[in-house]
Amino acid sequence: MTKNEFLNRLDGALTGIAYQDRKDIIYDYEEHFTVGLEGGKTEEEIAASLGDPVTIARQFKADYMLKKAESKATTSNLFKAVFAVVGMGFFNLLIILPIFLPLWAAMIALIFSAFCVVLGGVAGFFASVGTPFFESIVTLPTYNTGANIFFCIGIIALGLLYLIGVISLGKLFYRGTMKYLKFNLKFIKDRGQQV
Amino acid sequence: MNIQFKKGVLELCVLSMLGKKDCYGYELVSEISKNISIAEGTIYPLLRRLKDEGYFTTYLQESSEGPPRKYYKLTELGKETKDELIKEWHTFVSGVNKIIKEDNDDDQERISEQA
Repeated sequence: MTKNEFLNRLDGALTGIAYQDRKDIIYDYEEHFTVGLEGGKTEEEIAASLGDPVTIARQFKADYMLKKAESKATTSNLFKAVFAVVGMGFFNLLIILPIFLPLWAAMIALIFSAFCVVLGGVAGFFASVGTPFFESIVTLPTYNTGANIFFCIGIIALGLLYLIGVISLGKLFYRGTMKYLKFNLKFIKDRGQQV
Repeated sequence: MNIQFKKGVLELCVLSMLGKKDCYGYELVSEISKNISIAEGTIYPLLRRLKDEGYFTTYLQESSEGPPRKYYKLTELGKETKDELIKEWHTFVSGVNKIIKEDNDDDQERISEQA
């Protein structure tokens, strides 16, 4: 590998790192090549002893994402950090996915079902008062318009309560996820992340 | 040697070298790789992280041969950490040596018994 090939591969693998930081990183390796060349080594020799640029980039990325997640613990930053560290083969993706994917899927399904109950109530209400389109898609429980209207208002209220409940559950779950991710990051830091 | 172990020790090597004098990246990397077999490129991420954690600062200094070089200089925190790590290292090594030595003595006894 020549100097340019090495630097290009490294730069290409440093995606997600801010431009200024990336420039700093590349600068160090450029300097390394310069000094090595002055010492009489060839570009190929220097590149070979540096090692794989993609592996090097992974290490920079994991450190960078960890730092970002610590200074600003948003969900996105935390996830990025965890995934950057996972990318280094630190701990297995299998630990995270089986726990969080089904739980998040269940959470989304619950929120969706709450919306559906509310929508059903609204559709029933319009059907009860005789709006033509809704009459064709909703089967009403009784033939008494007044009873239908109150029944549908009841359904809407029930749906809204359900939605409020589900949303607070979602908030709780979100906080739980954040805590879990932070715990993981702390665990990684304590173990010393210099792999 | 185990890769995790080797990389843990690198931090100590870097801090200890900088304890003697300010160095530029290539100097640190080539000195370490001369003594410990490691992919040289992996030392720079370590340097960057240690700098972020406040163990040293960097400054540029002109070189006689080419463009200016980035030198690393230990901070107070870096010096304290270095001393601590070196102490820990010596305790660790002497502990391991003691165990290895006992093990060797046992082996020696077994060999002499067989003979």
